[in-house]
Amino acid sequence: MAEIKQEPMSKKKLEYVRRERTKEMRQQVVSFGLMIFFTFIAFGMVAMDIDASFVIPVVIGLAFVQVILQFFYFMHMKDKGHEFAKLFMMTGMFFALSFIVTFIYIVWIGSPI
Amino acid sequence: MASTAKKQGVGSVLWDYLTTVDHKKIAILYLIAGGFFFVLGGIEAMLIRIQLAVPNNDFLSAGLFNEVITMHGTTMIFLAAMPLLFAFMNATVPLQIGARDVAFPFLNALGVWLFIFGGIFLNLSWFLGGAPDAGWTSYASLSIASAGHGIDFYALGLQITGAGTLISGINFVTTIINMRAPGMTYMRMPLMTWTTLVASVLIVFAFPPLTIGIFLLMFDRMFGSSFFLVETGGNTIIWEHLFWIFGHPEVYILILPAFGIFSEIFSTFSRKRLFGYSAMVFATVLIGFFGFMVWAHHMFTVGLGPTANAIFAVATMAIAVPTGIKIFNWVATVWGGSIEFTTPMLYALAFIPSFTMGGVTGVMQAAAPADYQYHDSYFIVAHFHYVIVGGVVFGLLAGLHYYWPLMFGNMLSEKLGKITFVLFVIGFHTTFLIQHFLGLWGMPRRVFTYLDGQGYNTANIVSSIGALLMAIAVIILVINIIMTLAKNQRVGRDPWGDGRTLEWSLPLPVPYYNFAQTPLVRGLDAYWIEKKANNGKMMPAESLEDFHMPNNSFIPFVLSFGLFVAAFGALYFASGKEWAIDAVADLPQHPWALWVLILGLAITFGSMITRSLKDDLGYYVTKEEVLRDLEEEEQRREN
Ligand code: HEM
Ligand SMILES: [Cu+2]
Repeated sequence: MAEIKQEPMSKKKLEYVRRERTKEMRQQVVSFGLMIFFTFIAFGMVAMDIDASFVIPVVIGLAFVQVILQFFYFMHMKDKGHEFAKLFMMTGMFFALSFIVTFIYIVWIGSPI
Repeated sequence: MASTAKKQGVGSVLWDYLTTVDHKKIAILYLIAGGFFFVLGGIEAMLIRIQLAVPNNDFLSAGLFNEVITMHGTTMIFLAAMPLLFAFMNATVPLQIGARDVAFPFLNALGVWLFIFGGIFLNLSWFLGGAPDAGWTSYASLSIASAGHGIDFYALGLQITGAGTLISGINFVTTIINMRAPGMTYMRMPLMTWTTLVASVLIVFAFPPLTIGIFLLMFDRMFGSSFFLVETGGNTIIWEHLFWIFGHPEVYILILPAFGIFSEIFSTFSRKRLFGYSAMVFATVLIGFFGFMVWAHHMFTVGLGPTANAIFAVATMAIAVPTGIKIFNWVATVWGGSIEFTTPMLYALAFIPSFTMGGVTGVMQAAAPADYQYHDSYFIVAHFHYVIVGGVVFGLLAGLHYYWPLMFGNMLSEKLGKITFVLFVIGFHTTFLIQHFLGLWGMPRRVFTYLDGQGYNTANIVSSIGALLMAIAVIILVINIIMTLAKNQRVGRDPWGDGRTLEWSLPLPVPYYNFAQTPLVRGLDAYWIEKKANNGKMMPAESLEDFHMPNNSFIPFVLSFGLFVAAFGALYFASGKEWAIDAVADLPQHPWALWVLILGLAITFGSMITRSLKDDLGYYVTKEEVLRDLEEEEQRREN
């Protein structure tokens, strides 16, 4: 079984790649930390029996921020050269949204339209 | 491992196929397994037609009839049509784009084994207490009430094959986006590649809703939840939505690759460039997109309300426009071409009127008020068989003849092929044309018999005779295949003589690494261009060097086998438990079920861990070996 053959990188390039990777790593850890923190807040608010009319919008808001973080920092929405991945995610969101809207209108909200 | 295969023992051939990650061999696995299930589904179809041939028949009991129609539909859609399309996609797409394999060869193997194990699991239901009987749509109101484990076989079997399909879809999207040879821009991709891309995208978006739907059904039936149990606040309509959000794109997943096969055949055997190439691409993408906006046309009679029905009716009719664009472009491709009536071309020509008839009845059904009349009648059966058989199955038969030399290095007999064609087409129209009228006269679908004196007798016997003709046609096809393999008369490069796309530029049998040098693509119909400009030799895009290939692996087989074992555990888990639904609450308890479930999952996760931790770097094909192969090929050509 042969080893993968690779061109050795120039020193400058190596440094650049290292720097980029560290940056990427830091961003991921930070957004991951934030997401865990948001989850704690959400659970905490429910556990503390705070008024539902306050909790529901706040939890939905936090969820929204989490989705954004997820898309941008973990699913490459922020990166260049991922046009196809972006197109796919946008299409997926569009489909999902239209399914949810129809479900709400013709399955769950009372009488048929 | 030279391309002129040494004599191998049966054992080593078997091991080779069990571990292969080569897209060409995976194509053959799909073809064998899909062909087997196609014959199985065909036998079930014959049973249905025998039962319905005469009034008041008791050849099949009512319960057995329900099982047979359910298994017929499920087998044909999930285990025959889709895998057979995957066979041709695997056999052609990497070659058409000038790649040495798909993007994820390991996942490709995983996809085929998941499909095979899921299919076997589903069919074991026949021997283990009865097959599913709620229709291929398995509406929750029926499936929750269905006694015994039949529906559990449906849910678990489809979950396993569905995972395989999803994996293969992702694989093809990645392959086509990332692995094209230099010069192969999007607008130079052959239509087979384009339709595979769009169908794979549809798989990626359509299978998750099905997976979710089936998971909810599994939880209800096996683990005591109540998503669809109306008594405890559930809602069975949700299943219908989830199923059809998947189900309508599914019919396009089936028909688009067939469109691709036909497009290749039309331009090859008319010796013309495909007419309106860019319009064809545009129509393909548009069909794919609209395909997601129309699912509720299967639910007009559910009572969504007039506004909702109207919206879905109009959206559905809109799809007829891009489909019409395609039909006209095919006709214009044939128009004025120098036509060669080979077997694949005959299927392609018969496809145009047949499929168009299915499309016209589709638009009729799309008119929601009219659909109240057609719904659940034989009219619907006639409609979807006109599109599925007249479109997809004709496409598969055409593709089988057309791509056979590419896959096996010899040609199916044209004479027997044409006999099959004539019998099949006559049989097809005899069977299904009259079913339109049966439907309009009021014969319901999915009912196991009918009374004498309602005027259904003649039409039903005609329909059954047609089915017999199709069965004879398939038997002749099988004889053709066996004779061709036994004779094994080898053919060389470009066996049809008019190949236009890259796959025909390769020597036959295709070397396991496909291309000695990645070709340079200079336009649409890359091989045709080089035939005109360069004596039929592709220009290389790279110098001849060592290149990298993946190792074979047994892990995909074991991983899929693990899920197969786990499925038995899940299946018997709820038997006889007090929290279980009525359908299985009275069955004997199986205390071992949980352990089988755990064992199966352990095998699967164990394989995943092995795959993750064991470095598998593949190997290099050396320049010397490739040069030797090229020389051999040169000599063969001189003789
Ligand atoms: C040409 C465009 C098409 C249109 C406008 C169309 C329209 C429809 C409509 C409105 C129904 C629902 C009828 C009812 O349940 O009352 C239906 C059913 C069906 N169609 Fe199509 N269709 C088209 C193409 C296809 C294709 C290409 C396939 C398969 C390859 C297909 C397969 C089916 C199946 C399997 C059903 C039966 C579903 C069931 O009730 O079990 N259709 N079609
Ligand atoms: Cu549909």
